[in-house]
Amino acid sequence: MIIADNVNVHFRRGLLRKQVRALTGLSLEVREGDFFALVGQNGAGKSTAMYCFLGLLKPNSGKVQVLGRTPDLGSPLYEGVAYLPEEPHYHLYLTVEEATRYYASLYGKSIPTKSVDQALERLGMAEFKTLPLSKCSKGMKQKVGIAQCLIHETRLLFLDEPTRGLDPLMVREFRETLRDIHQRGATIVMNSHVLSEIEMLANRVAIIERGKVIVQDELRNLLTLDQELYSVAFEGNGVVPDYLTSIERLGNLVKGSIPKEKLYDFMDYTRISGLHVHECSLKKISLEDSFFKIIKGGGAPA
Amino acid sequence: MTELLRANVLANFAFYRRSRLLLAFMLVFLVLTALISLPPLFINSGVQSFNSLHEIFSTLNGFLLFLAGGLGLFIISSHLRNRSLKMVFTKPCSPALWLTSAFLSAVAVSFLLHCIVLGGAAALSLGWHLPVRGGLVFVSMDTFLASVGIIAYMMLLTTVVHPAIAVTFALIFNADLFYEFQRWTMAMIRSGNSSTALHALEKLFHYLYLLLPMVYAFGKKTEGIHNSLRVARRLEICTVFGCLRHGAFGVLLLRSPVRIAEEKAHLSFDVEQFWLGQGVVDHAARSVEDAGQYDFSFRRCSHFQRSDVLHQVLLYR
Repeated sequence: MIIADNVNVHFRRGLLRKQVRALTGLSLEVREGDFFALVGQNGAGKSTAMYCFLGLLKPNSGKVQVLGRTPDLGSPLYEGVAYLPEEPHYHLYLTVEEATRYYASLYGKSIPTKSVDQALERLGMAEFKTLPLSKCSKGMKQKVGIAQCLIHETRLLFLDEPTRGLDPLMVREFRETLRDIHQRGATIVMNSHVLSEIEMLANRVAIIERGKVIVQDELRNLLTLDQELYSVAFEGNGVVPDYLTSIERLGNLVKGSIPKEKLYDFMDYTRISGLHVHECSLKKISLEDSFFKIIKGGGAPA
Repeated sequence: MTELLRANVLANFAFYRRSRLLLAFMLVFLVLTALISLPPLFINSGVQSFNSLHEIFSTLNGFLLFLAGGLGLFIISSHLRNRSLKMVFTKPCSPALWLTSAFLSAVAVSFLLHCIVLGGAAALSLGWHLPVRGGLVFVSMDTFLASVGIIAYMMLLTTVVHPAIAVTFALIFNADLFYEFQRWTMAMIRSGNSSTALHALEKLFHYLYLLLPMVYAFGKKTEGIHNSLRVARRLEICTVFGCLRHGAFGVLLLRSPVRIAEEKAHLSFDVEQFWLGQGVVDHAARSVEDAGQYDFSFRRCSHFQRSDVLHQVLLYR
């Protein structure tokens, strides 16, 4: 679906035209049907990579292919592509209905009013049809962007920080809509800082660091169970065993990790002390853990 | 393609309809025009009424020329500034197609406004018991086609540079400036200073003058119609074709070899008039004689037809 091979992008900025290297040999592959997430720190090159995939930026060197073609602005390649920008840079002078119709019409087909109404109804925007986009919240604007994907069968959807600045309720609604679009067969490429969000949605992840992909893998491979540590949560009595690490206290509740070989000691400790155990399970490595491990270690987790 | 153009044009119309800046600009001019049109309501003289009609019509047409620049400038700068074009170009709509639609929208809005002004002028003529002159249609068409050129030029500049720089450039570095520069260098050369640098400058100014668009390509030839609002019936079709040709140049921002030849002819004639003083009296006399054919005298031109040469003669006397 998308192939980036050794892509280099550099800009010149400031009065002295200092060179900034945004992408340095970025290579990745997005397969059909993927929910692909680009993860990285601020300035890592996620958005630049996305701009290259969209044809908004021409790489200085390297090859980018989207749906088998080199992206060229406005070409027929974009018939199955939709993009939701990081900031809702939409046509603010249009109303919700006008903008939805406009964006959908840009695919070159006449859009029946019924289709627009249905898409807006589905996203809970029907009552705001006549509201100008300049007066809409960010979430509402994002829904207008999503509406075009519901009107057309989008094959490839690019999302740049889609949930940034949205309230939790809106995030949940948005997540459900994205799942729905993905289930209908769309390939989704998403940039995000919200790792928990990616954990819930993506099936493949690329971690970008300084303009380069340092890890590209299935999400499930990054979210393995740590066979050496147990996560425990119990009602404490003030004293905790010395092998308990990563301690967190929430009132009486004590959370932490214990090594595998200390499991039976921990059981004895809670039984003798008469403590109530809330949780005891093999510790899961979250995407956040993997991400930090990779970023700090400079490579894939063991 | 048609659907894309249609969608973009409709969106651009919405932009113009809701642009507060453009609306405020239009409102100011409408108020000014209303103020100008007040005095004739209390005057019964036909001459005064015609003068007022001419004043209002030329003020509004002048305003439409400025507005045309604004229409071209705002649509590009606004979309570039709020980065909404990312949503357009990441669809099967090329930048060229969007630019075409923006141009067509601006031209359509300009055409509509010209029609309104023309309709208003016709209504005023009828209201003030003046004959509705064919010159109104001609001047409207001429101004509209000049607007098309201005829209294209401002759009071109705004896509390349910041809008403030585009406006400054368009106002200062226009064809007239380089025309004057070229006259100046030519005069210097004729007066005996024939340095290579001066010749190079003369050529540079000449080509810059040819490169930059001008508002009225046939300003000297249509000046009479602009002043008298009269067009000979037999010439109406010819003038329409002339306007269309002029408009086509405006759109393309280019001049035809015929036009270049005409400009060269004018230039050498003017230089001769201005610097050597030959034929000035004849030309002024001819202008006064021409002016005698008019029914009315005009405030700005006193008793004779406006002429660049004559103005310069008066200035340098």
